[in-house]
Amino acid sequence: MIKVERVSKNFKLYHSPSERLKEIVYRKKYHKDFTALDNISFEVDAGETLGIIGQNGAGKSTLLKILSGIIIPDSGTISVNGKVTGLLELGTGFNYEMTGLENIYMNGTLIGMARDEIDLKKQTIIDFSELGEFIHEPIKTYSSGMTMRLAFSIAIHADPTCFLVDEALSVGDAYFQQKCMRKIQEFRESGGSIIFVSHDTNAVMTLCDYAILLDHGKMISYGIPRGIVDLYISRICINAHQGEKKVNLVSNFNDIDNHTNISTNEIEFLSIKIYDLSKNVITHVHNEEEVILSFSFRSLRLIDDPTFGILIRNRYGISIFGTNSYLLNKKNKPVLPGIDYKVLFQMKITLQPDDYLITFAIDNKGKGINSFDEYLLRLNDIATLKVIQNEKIPIYDGITDLHPTISVETMNNAIEPGVI
Amino acid sequence: MKTVLLQDYEPVISLLRPLFRNPLIFELAKRDFTEKYSGSTLGFIWSFIYPLINILIYMVIFGTLMGARLPGSSSIWSYGVYLVSGLVPWTAFANTVTRSSTVFLDKKNIIAKIHIDLPTLPVYILISESITFVVTFVIFLLIMFLTGFAFSQYLLLIPVLYLIQQVFAYALGFFLGMFVVFLRDLKEVVALGFQIWFWFTPIVYVFDILPKFAQQVLIWNPMCAIVSAYHDIFIYQRMPSFFYLALVLIGSIGLIIIDYYIFKKLEKDIRDFI
Repeated sequence: MIKVERVSKNFKLYHSPSERLKEIVYRKKYHKDFTALDNISFEVDAGETLGIIGQNGAGKSTLLKILSGIIIPDSGTISVNGKVTGLLELGTGFNYEMTGLENIYMNGTLIGMARDEIDLKKQTIIDFSELGEFIHEPIKTYSSGMTMRLAFSIAIHADPTCFLVDEALSVGDAYFQQKCMRKIQEFRESGGSIIFVSHDTNAVMTLCDYAILLDHGKMISYGIPRGIVDLYISRICINAHQGEKKVNLVSNFNDIDNHTNISTNEIEFLSIKIYDLSKNVITHVHNEEEVILSFSFRSLRLIDDPTFGILIRNRYGISIFGTNSYLLNKKNKPVLPGIDYKVLFQMKITLQPDDYLITFAIDNKGKGINSFDEYLLRLNDIATLKVIQNEKIPIYDGITDLHPTISVETMNNAIEPGVI
Repeated sequence: MKTVLLQDYEPVISLLRPLFRNPLIFELAKRDFTEKYSGSTLGFIWSFIYPLINILIYMVIFGTLMGARLPGSSSIWSYGVYLVSGLVPWTAFANTVTRSSTVFLDKKNIIAKIHIDLPTLPVYILISESITFVVTFVIFLLIMFLTGFAFSQYLLLIPVLYLIQQVFAYALGFFLGMFVVFLRDLKEVVALGFQIWFWFTPIVYVFDILPKFAQQVLIWNPMCAIVSAYHDIFIYQRMPSFFYLALVLIGSIGLIIIDYYIFKKLEKDIRDFI
């Protein structure tokens, strides 16, 4: 368990380190203050994973450094029962002239393993890294992937109670990454806590139980990853917005406590309806059937190049499918003020039966996926699309139906005896 | 009243405590050696070859070729022994202090990534320099034995003498080390300072040949007391003056306590700057 209470950190910015001494001598201020963290509190229980997201300069790295004890906070307390190790120190102290085995001892000692502990675990570490006989070669002969494999193997075998993971695990190839993820999962199941810092919002939603959003050293929000990620993306959209009218965070009628939607208040959203092809309002859809999603709104201003987008996400917040009229190369007529419009999306639901959430957005002048000149309205998870099993189609594994055909044939040119 | 006494020494004790449960400094000390000669065939045998050749050069050139003699001695080896018995401890001392004074910058890549107890970090230099010292001294004693030099029972005092010297080296090195983080120029000042300090210590010359006023200045040099003690043991075969050595030890412990308070005040800034 790790508990952080009211932690704050100011950095004093000096022109040169010697000015710190001048300050002591002359008793005069020579620095500018920079607040890296401001009153941060949270708790991660055993077996829990906490995600930390935020843009560059939000204070993520400072927080990780404080948690691992590299720097000392100005105020507040951190209590951990056990050892904190992290992937930010991956391979610290590696000497490239020395063999992998010698480096296991050095790096292992650095991250707090006792010598006999390393004696005991070194075979497991070598086996996990799959370096085999290379372990007796100097690290300079390794590829970067091999070095990372060794570093990760040491780190995960150090038996921490809390593991700090910085950014995506870019350890080796896809196979080894899978292996690392399994190992991390195992670690979590055995009661280890993880603090995961990333820009990869999907990874945060898949891995974490809770998340916090940091911005300029302040903890903006704490909650379930889906809400936090929405808030994070909304805030990025607000920053990227180029329109005259300011775009703001608004609450939507579905979940009041989740203020993750954005709007310039220039568009009045009226309703969302889900129809079948015969225009009947439906509450659920069978998979492989077509639906029509209808969004109606009224604009208070002229939108010269409107773009309409939808996003379908699963219950964990992972994007399943998203598109907009710009990506579909559909040029829309300008939206005139004071007139009611409805936008219809017709599509075939080739999805595994489950509940999916629908996000709707209206923007001006599209530039790419989730990139526009003006972000006018974005309503996260405004409706649920309930997909149930269609009796006429076979069940399958995974999230989508790829409609395969299977055939078995005899080989035309059979292997001749004696020629293998 | 024992508890009160213990609390008085708390700063010193808390400085020493992490030392014994800290495998890291031993690993760093070991690496200090293996790293220096890694990749070479003879490996760490080189750390024997260097002192051996150095000692031979001093003994042969100064004793035999230049015919330098100590006042009151007729042995051709005596000046060589005088020089080496002062120079080897001095080298251990000077290396420990200069290397400790830059240790926080030198080990920046580790300190910036992992929590490390900073006061114990210079201890690895102490250990590594001590190994060099022991190796060199053993070679020196062997050569002395071969040249038929007389040994005295005072030789047993050398570990005590060396310990006092290195406690002083640690106290000074850690003190300078904290300030080098803020004032990098101090690194050069330390290097220069040691050049001057060397000539203010009776290593190549004999204390007694100095004029009276110079002798009175040198008395205040702690290293003068230490090097003289080595000379007492090796050359004059007499008991060193324990009064001066005790002063050096007490002064060093005092400096460690000061180090501790400075460290408590500056630790946050040191870690921020590194």
